[in-house]
Amino acid sequence: MEIQTLSRARRLLLLYCSFFRITALVVGGGLAMLPVIEEIFVVKYKLLTREELLDMTALTQTVPGIIAINSAVYIGMKVGGVPGALAAAAGAVTPPFTVILIIASLFPHLDPKNRYLLGVFAGIRAAVTGMILVTGCRMFRRSVKTPLEYAAVLVFFALAVMKVSPALLILAAVPFGWCYVWWQTRRLARAGQSADGGKTAAPVDSSVEPRENGGDAK
Amino acid sequence: MNHCLVLFFQFCKFSVLCFGGGYMLIPLLTAQYVDQEQVLTMSEFGNLCSVAQVTPGPVGLNTATYVGYVNEGFFGALAASLGLIAPTVLIGCSAAAGINRWKDTFLVKGMLKGTRLAAVALIMFAVTIFFGMSVFTRTIPWESFGALFKFERPVLPEGFRVSPAGVLICGATIVLMLKTKLPSTVLLLGAAAAGAVLSFWF
Repeated sequence: MEIQTLSRARRLLLLYCSFFRITALVVGGGLAMLPVIEEIFVVKYKLLTREELLDMTALTQTVPGIIAINSAVYIGMKVGGVPGALAAAAGAVTPPFTVILIIASLFPHLDPKNRYLLGVFAGIRAAVTGMILVTGCRMFRRSVKTPLEYAAVLVFFALAVMKVSPALLILAAVPFGWCYVWWQTRRLARAGQSADGGKTAAPVDSSVEPRENGGDAK
Repeated sequence: MNHCLVLFFQFCKFSVLCFGGGYMLIPLLTAQYVDQEQVLTMSEFGNLCSVAQVTPGPVGLNTATYVGYVNEGFFGALAASLGLIAPTVLIGCSAAAGINRWKDTFLVKGMLKGTRLAAVALIMFAVTIFFGMSVFTRTIPWESFGALFKFERPVLPEGFRVSPAGVLICGATIVLMLKTKLPSTVLLLGAAAAGAVLSFWF
């Protein structure tokens, strides 16, 4: 299909329909959408290259917001500018909104009395627990490496347990991050000076080996 | 109408604070709607997350729609969903190109580093919230563990015990996720069936 020759309106319609289809069919979070996005936008329509998709994946996980909508907005932006971003986001929202609305109006309290239905819910809750745990541990392994980072995560966790508002925690994490990066670059600069230029200073992140067992906080 | 506006801005706030994917919404939403406003009970919230997980669509968006509906009906659901996507659209349209240019500046790097660490901690906290709804029979009584600091034996509240079915299903899910490449839909359906069957015994 020659996408470049499509009129503007058809392009927006294509974006809307593609994301409608993606969120209507894919069960699970934003990252589960990626293979389908690749199939539609890279393989079928050739609107993105694989490298662009990889860049986008990294970007959607760093900017705030849920990953699914982030991906829709960035692809929409790339293909059709601001109207494209709006069309893609609208397409991504419509199916889950409709489905959940129907379920919510049928069961407003989600407090089943039936024993088997209770069992079904308990089973799914247990599976979701496992999924969040695995996701959390993967994130932990990827982004927590130095002892100071372990300590920071522990402190944030303890504060969350003590009912400090999570919103406040995230806001407090920003100045902490600035201090940390400033301290890290200063330490790196010093290490570079003391090495007499003979050896290249190792980057701070890799100077401490990531511990294998420490990653699985339970 | 006023309440819908409040919902809209609350979800705008959650969206801006949501670093690291939809699971980050769990601590944010429980703090707001279970602990503070008490429009939902913890078990309702757990069931809501289960429904959000097994229905198609991103988990964060499903949860938002449901919470909005429970609060204010149809317009509440609309306000919550729009609130969740509005900041993303704004950020995406203005900064999609910019963030790559600023990625290596001190301000952006520091912010990403700090929020990443907080996000890891909060997702671990979300795990403990879910532990209280599956592996254990009620929310984890953190305040009882304060006794450990005084070298005393913690007094666990009535009805707090390990749920065998929860441990089995949760453990099986973790093993299957790490060892096989089964799609999460299969895992969830299997867990639902296992939960129904295990409710015979436990």
